[in-house]
Parts: sequence; C-alpha cells; structure tokens
Amino acid sequence: MSEERPIRVLMAKPGLDGHDRGAKVVALGLRDAGFEVIFTGIRQSPDDIAEAALQEDVDVVGLSCLSGAHRTLFPRTVQALRDRGCGDVLVIGGGVIPEQDILYLKERGVQEVFHPGTLIGAVAEYIRQHLPAAGGKESLP
Amino acid sequence: MFDPGELEQIEERRKQWQETTLKKNLERLRLDESPVQLYTPLDAPNAGYLEKLGFPGEYPYTRGTYAVPIFATVYAAESDAVGPRAGVYAGYGTVEDTRDLWRAEGRRGANVAFDLPTQCGYDSDHPMAEGEVGRVGIAIDTLDDFETLYEAFDGMATLDRMASNFTINAPCNIILAMYFALAEKKGVALSQLRGTPQNDILKEYASRGTYIFPPDPSMRMVRDSITFCHKYVPELNAISICGYHMREAGASEVQAAGFTFAHAMSYVRLGIAAGLDVDEFIPRFTFLDFGAGMDFWREIARARANRRIWAQIMRDQFGAKSARSWIMRGGDSVFVGPSCYTLQRPLNNVVRGVIGGVAGYLGSGFGVGGVPFDEVFGLGHSHEARQLSGDATRIMRFEAGLGRVQDPLAGSYFVEALTDQVESEIWEVINRVEDLGGGVEAIKTGYTQREIAHSAYEAQRQLETGERIVVGVNKFTGPQEMEVLPPRLSHPYDASKIESAEERQLARLRRIKSQRSQPAVDAALKAIGEAASKEDENLIPYFIEAVKAYATVGEICDVLRDVFGVYRPEAL
Repeated sequence: MSEERPIRVLMAKPGLDGHDRGAKVVALGLRDAGFEVIFTGIRQSPDDIAEAALQEDVDVVGLSCLSGAHRTLFPRTVQALRDRGCGDVLVIGGGVIPEQDILYLKERGVQEVFHPGTLIGAVAEYIRQHLPAAGGKESLP
Repeated sequence: MFDPGELEQIEERRKQWQETTLKKNLERLRLDESPVQLYTPLDAPNAGYLEKLGFPGEYPYTRGTYAVPIFATVYAAESDAVGPRAGVYAGYGTVEDTRDLWRAEGRRGANVAFDLPTQCGYDSDHPMAEGEVGRVGIAIDTLDDFETLYEAFDGMATLDRMASNFTINAPCNIILAMYFALAEKKGVALSQLRGTPQNDILKEYASRGTYIFPPDPSMRMVRDSITFCHKYVPELNAISICGYHMREAGASEVQAAGFTFAHAMSYVRLGIAAGLDVDEFIPRFTFLDFGAGMDFWREIARARANRRIWAQIMRDQFGAKSARSWIMRGGDSVFVGPSCYTLQRPLNNVVRGVIGGVAGYLGSGFGVGGVPFDEVFGLGHSHEARQLSGDATRIMRFEAGLGRVQDPLAGSYFVEALTDQVESEIWEVINRVEDLGGGVEAIKTGYTQREIAHSAYEAQRQLETGERIVVGVNKFTGPQEMEVLPPRLSHPYDASKIESAEERQLARLRRIKSQRSQPAVDAALKAIGEAASKEDENLIPYFIEAVKAYATVGEICDVLRDVFGVYRPEAL
C-alpha cells in the first residue's frame, strides 16, 4: 500500500508477431518516466503473459500486436488474468488496430488502445490516471 | 578537379563572403548563424573521378549498377494496367482464396506471403497459431496446400515459365522442398525453376522476429540452400538479403546498411566454406531493399555509397573477379518505409512515398510511388491507394521526366562529400561487427538487436521532445488543422474470408492428415532427424522426401527443434 512503490508494468507481445519496435520503445519510455517495466519479449501466449503478470505483481499489462490477431489474443489475455485473480490489472493495448476493433476490445476488458503516433508521455499520463483506486497507487493531485 | 591555386582563391573569397554578404544577411534576419549549409569545391572530395565515380555499370558503381538502369525499362509504369503484376506480394485467407484471387487477376507469377505460424514453423493446429492462421498471409501446412495454391496458374503459366518469390526465412528450405517436389510432379526440371526465397535469417534475429532455431544451425540451412541451388537449381536466387526490416525496426540508414553488408558477408563465407568459388555463387545472391527514412539527402548518399561498398567488399575482400559478383543485385533503391507513415492525416503518406521516389531517381536511377498510403490501417491495400501509388510512379517518370538522366547529382560538392561521409560511417559499422566476430556473433551477443533498439528509442525521444518533427503527429496538430480522410476505399478481398480462414485451414489439415500414409511420414521424419545431427549433410533432399509424403511444416520443424534447439533472445 506504500505510495513510494513505483507503478509496475508488464509490456508483452502476445502471439507470433515479431514487430517489437513499439513494445520496446514504450517499455524504455515508461521506464524513463519512472515506472518499473518488464518486457516479455516476443511470442508469448496469453497464459505466459498472465503468469508473468501474476509473478511480477504488476499493475499494468501493455499488449502490442501488429499481425491482426489482436481480436483473439487481447481478450484471451484479459481472461487469463482474471483466471488468476488478476482482474484488477489495467490492460492496455497498441499496434495496428483498426478503429472498428477498438470497441470490440474495450467490451472485452481492454481498457484503452493506443494508435501509432501516440507519444509515450500520453501513455504514462493515462496509466497514472486510470490505475484502480484499490491498488492505492493513484497519483496525487 | 581544381588546381591548388584556384582552391586558395576560392577559400579567400569564401572568407570574404562570410565577413560581408553573409554577415549582413544574418544581421538583417537577426540570426547568429545561417540555417542552411553551403558547400563549395573546398568541401568536395579530392580523389579522382575515375577511381571514385567512374561510369554506370562499371566498378565502383557509384554512378549506377547498370549502364542503363534496369528498372527504368521493365518497371510496370509503362503498362496501362494498374492491376497486380506478377510480383505483388500477397497471401489472403486460405490457399484456395489466394488461388481464386490470383486466377481472377490473371497472375503469371507467385509472390507468396505466408502467415506467421508457417513462418515460425507451427502447424495451423498448434496452440500458438490461434488467431494468427491466414492473417498476414496464407498457411502452408503441407504440400497439398502448395499444390492447391499453384492451381492458380493452370493454363496460364507453367513452372518453367514463371518466377516464384517466397517471403520466408527459418523454414525456407522446407518451402523450397515443396517447390522442388511440385516441379518433379509436374515434370519440370529443377534447372528450369526461377524464383527468390527470402532466406535471410540473420535479419530475423536482428529485427523481424520469425526465427526458430539458434543462429548456427540456421546458417547451416542457408548453406544448404546455397549449395543445393548452385548444383541443381542454378536459376534460383539462393537468398534475398534485407536491410529494410532492420531500418523499419529503428536502425539508422547507416546501421541498416552496415548490418546488411555484415550479414551478406556472413552468407558469402558460407559458400566459400562449402568449397565454392565466389564468382560461381554470388551472382545468385540478391538484396531486397535497404529501407529508407525521410532524410532525403542522406538516403541519396546512402544509395550511392552502398553500391561502392558492396563492390569493394566483393572485389577487394573476397577477391571476386567477375563484375557480376561486384554488383548489388536488387537492393539498389530508395523506398520510404511505412514506419515513416502516419495514421494521422493518412493521405500525407502519399507525399512521403513520393519523396522516397524522387530520392530513388537521384540516388538509384529509378523511383516508385512508395507503399500505398493505407498501409497504416492494417494489411491489405485498397484499390484507391494502389492507384495513387502507381500514378505517383507514372507522374515522376512521364510528366516530370525524373529518369532522363542517370545519377544527376554526381559532381555536386555537397552530394559527393556526403556520399563519402556516409560511406565511411557505414564502413565503421561493418568494421565494428567484423571486430566482434562477424554478423552471426553480433547477433548471438545481442549487439545488433541492442543497437537497433537504442536507435528506435532515440528516434522516439526526438519525437517526444520535438527535436524531430512529424507533421500531424507532434506538430501542426492545433484546432485549425483538418483531418483529411480518403473518401472511399475498396478492397480486392473479402474480409469475411480472412475471418473464416483459420477454421477452413484446420479442416484442410485434418483431411490431409487422415489421407496420408503415416508410416511414410514417420520414416521421412526419422531420416531428417538423423541427417540433421550430421553437420555436413544437406537436408534439402530429406525435406523433399518428407513433403512428398505430406509431412507438415510443423512436424519437420519439431524434428529439427529436437536436434538444433530453439533460439532464445537476449533480454532487452
């Protein structure tokens, strides 16, 4: 419950997509913004990611996918987190995600989807504002 | 070019100009220093024209790979048809969907995009394949899929009269084995086959990510394709060496070129170690593309420097005697990559593509309109975006006449100085990688991957701070700006087929597995396992036997995983 604990983020690449530039850059950027960031590397299954989130006790899971498999893999990861009692982890996503899929993902527990061109500062701000109050880590005004 | 007396005079005048004309101008504009650079003969390289520039199609190729730029004569801009050429990279839904689309388009060549499970050596029914089957290309599980795909050309073209490109790397030799098995079934001699597999595994570790095995056994498989093709399939390009993916992953133009050449040198050494003479097998090496960013002048310089560097590598370092070994086949282009494109105000991407096209004419002898602007919306370009890109190519060529003069910037004080500078920067990268033990070692230690990730992060940092401007992304985004959207986009494909592709592919796989002879598959897989453990053995003949028995790509890769192990990348 300590306010000093930095926000912990797991950046993950579900599925087989190897385009990890975005995930790496956001991971490094959030680290520089004061977050603790763990990057899973590519080719993770939803279960691998949820397991890592549980083990690392993270507050946020960031999912990146550019292959078009996000409609399967993002909701699958949300479910895998819930199965492990990690339903309060903030799940956000990014990649080449068509506009019409964003609502689909949000209905399935992905809280926000960031487009290419998003500045990392905006992602950091979003996380600080949207962490569940239950974690006691919301930023002070 | 200038005698010392004349250079002294120029230097004197330059000093005068700085103290008078320039100074006055700066004062009037209230500037401390000029925002533009000026080059004079004082900055121009000293060495002679013949050694450093020469003539197009001759060493050191600074002025062009060929005496007449090859693409200037064959590129499709001449044709009235905007529709897909044989060469357009595609793979949509299942093999049946792609076959039908290609038939409808009247294609006469295959340029196959494979889905990620196929590229990573997983069958469509593997748990990791879920959601990915038929997404970024087609699934090829067995030779049956391959045979169905090639029905597209029945009555149109026979295998000896067409070319096939396979964008696949880690399981490349299994796909090649399918191509060879198909030729055998159709009664076409291997020596008649033409095509280009990508087969550049090193850049997969460095950037694109579809590796399977560790670097050493992967390189052994590249060696297998070089030697097998050299002996039996001499018209097939053994490899297509890529810089583009590393550039898109964040490498600078200098890093992308340096790493690509370092990788190319590693592949050259495979052929030499296998006992081949460089002049025998290098003419069957091709380069794909080095990618490009928005720094117009440096890309032009990079394109010119690249030709000179490869010629030096082949002639001076590897002792190639044939001019066919000195030229950089295929990679001589400037092509702005989609990582420069923006989702914000997407029609602006047409402009970005055209800037690459102009740089191409100035640096490489030809240019094209670039990646269709709607790449940013996801895979699958619209008819409209393709039309715009094709028309941009035509306008540059036919209206503006950009291709009328070859290497038009040669002799420019600035461009020659920059070409020399970029060349020496690329050599620095090559030499650093060589000092680390070469392209393969640099991958094993994670050096290449880290360098690219650092550059990607640096580019993002510059975007965040505003040091680098991207229109509509981090500047010119105020309320007075407009989002300009294309009015209507139509696609050559049916999206519902992509959605149902996984299910239909799983049915195909189940059917073929129930129809094939399991003992024949088991025997072929066992033979692969035994051959794989002998380093000198060429695995391609074993792959041919296995695919003819309808063993799957995943089954073959599993046998190889058992022998070779799998690659685990270094942590970030």
